[in-house]
Amino acid sequence: MIPAFGAVLLPLSMLSRFVDPFSAILRDVLGLNPVLLQLVAFALLLGGVYALTALGLTMIFGVMDVINFAHGIFLVVGMYTTLVVTTTFGVNPFLAIGVAVVVLFVLGVVMHLSIIEPILDAPDQNQLIVTLGALFVIQSVIEIGFGPDPQSIGFKAGTLEVAGVFIPNGRLYALALAILAMVVVWAFLQYTDLGREIRGTANNRIGAQYVGINVTRINYLTFGIGAALAGLAGGSVALFNRFDPFSGSTYLINAFVIVVLGGLGSFPGAFLGGMIIGFLQVFGSYYLPGTTYQILIFLLFIGTLLVKPEGIFGGESA
Amino acid sequence: MSELRERYRAFDDHRYSGVAKGALGFGLLAVLPQLIAVSVAGVSIDQWVSVKILVLTLIFAFSAQAWNIMSGYTGQFSFGHAAFFGIGAYATQALLATYGLNPWIGMLVGGLLAAVYGLFVGVLCFRYNLKGHYFALATLAFAELLRVVVQNTSELNGANGYYKPFARDYASGPGLAAFQFQTDLPYYYVILAFLIIVTAVAWAIRNSWIGLYFFSIREDEDAAASVGVPTNRYKIYGVVISAFFTAWAGAFWSMYYNTIQPSTVFDLFLNVRLLLPAVVGGPGTLIGPIIGSFFVTPVSEVLRTTFDQVNGLSHVVYGLVLILIVLYSPKGIVNWPARFRALLGRTEEDDD
Repeated sequence: MIPAFGAVLLPLSMLSRFVDPFSAILRDVLGLNPVLLQLVAFALLLGGVYALTALGLTMIFGVMDVINFAHGIFLVVGMYTTLVVTTTFGVNPFLAIGVAVVVLFVLGVVMHLSIIEPILDAPDQNQLIVTLGALFVIQSVIEIGFGPDPQSIGFKAGTLEVAGVFIPNGRLYALALAILAMVVVWAFLQYTDLGREIRGTANNRIGAQYVGINVTRINYLTFGIGAALAGLAGGSVALFNRFDPFSGSTYLINAFVIVVLGGLGSFPGAFLGGMIIGFLQVFGSYYLPGTTYQILIFLLFIGTLLVKPEGIFGGESA
Repeated sequence: MSELRERYRAFDDHRYSGVAKGALGFGLLAVLPQLIAVSVAGVSIDQWVSVKILVLTLIFAFSAQAWNIMSGYTGQFSFGHAAFFGIGAYATQALLATYGLNPWIGMLVGGLLAAVYGLFVGVLCFRYNLKGHYFALATLAFAELLRVVVQNTSELNGANGYYKPFARDYASGPGLAAFQFQTDLPYYYVILAFLIIVTAVAWAIRNSWIGLYFFSIREDEDAAASVGVPTNRYKIYGVVISAFFTAWAGAFWSMYYNTIQPSTVFDLFLNVRLLLPAVVGGPGTLIGPIIGSFFVTPVSEVLRTTFDQVNGLSHVVYGLVLILIVLYSPKGIVNWPARFRALLGRTEEDDD
């Protein structure tokens, strides 16, 4: 009797927790609370980095139909590469991010040739397990090399103030890098021969083979580019955040959500999805108690998978 | 010699040979804790493998057997069994801590709750025809969703979770009735009994029309549907049965280890640990999950304790083992004897 009563009360009390925040938002919107502007700025900054993270993942999925569980750890490798290059060689962090991009490209190509290519035609779960195994190995190697404690590259960028809105420069640079990378990759896919071949392969692997595209080469280049984008994202995050060997999992989960939300393999989808998650996280963590905003993110994720698994921009490919 | 082989063949074709082999195998497992203590020339296995490790091995053998009923048999790859595991653990502990409800009843309640959640997940996913990667991601999301919900529910102690109450607080003291023991050995026999139950259920499913339907869905869902198999209904049966038993693993875990927290029983990587033995041992087979767990779990535990001065080294080896198994032996360890025979020049390929 009593447990049954509790089971009814539980959802009710949780419901009120979800209703109150919405009235708070409504109050702030109607009262033109300046905090809203600040939140929007933060959401855009965060969304940009998330979009960049999802970009590599969505490219790999779009072209090869592989779900890469190691994508989050690629970001972490990017963070630590940036750290090592800046601290040991004392070079500019932006140059270090460039090094991270190159390192990750090589890592991506090597990983693809050694463990992804052999199982491209195997059942889906084999890809999950293999990329997960790679995640374990890379993460532990980083942990052995650098220890489990959080690190920071100690980049002091200051803060910008625009119309009463405070914008940390580190995040601004990260956003700028993200937008630049997205434009470059988009132009590359749109206007170069290699880009066209990648898009063709994403569209129809077998057809691509028939018209003489070397699909194996496209595969490892795509995996390399995807990893390089993760390296860029990781390096950008390192500009403003502390990180440890396990930082990847949050980014990985968010990247999955974004990629599904925007449409697996869709480019504009990754951008829009990144922004949606950025807004949900920033506004959610301000208005909702604890980490409740994550519930919204997962509900949105499940809802998208069920109603429109091909995503907002489904049908189009990278 | 050849006469012996003929007699073995004749026995092997008999429909109850499975029961006999099972009795033999589980009999061996029953004396295993005693066997590891036997010292041969001053060396005994229990220097590396303790009863604790054996208990853990059977927990994951059990969970993998439960996962296998759904994912190995019907081919619907679940990446979110931590959801059912966590429900089992939480139902047992929350009911015990709040209402003093006996953990055995809590475990059954947890099993039913997990089955209902499985029904919910299954109905939604299959109703919308989710397959492959999308289905795997959806099950993962349903598990992660529970983690954040529990983390943010103060009625379930939020991120702090539960600490197992003393046996004397709800029973006459430690023992089978209280689901609490003072040594590891009784726990071993409880989880062994669980494993026998779930293996018997898996065996019964394989040898009935249900199994036939399950495997037909795995091989070719459209073809199965076209000859009249109600595919969605049977896929849901698979999820529900699997969820029910996976919750037992969670319940056992919560009674064997003293604390549960959302970050442990709904952990992202627990999803992997629960299914790994089945994949390593041989997905879709009866003995695969058990063999797989005896391969994966002690190795990772022994590595963890042997290389404890270097954090993470065991994970490097663990990850490499994962990769190598999937790359070079996607049908699992149960396929090794057949491959070995093939290597020796015999042509009897033994699929499945």
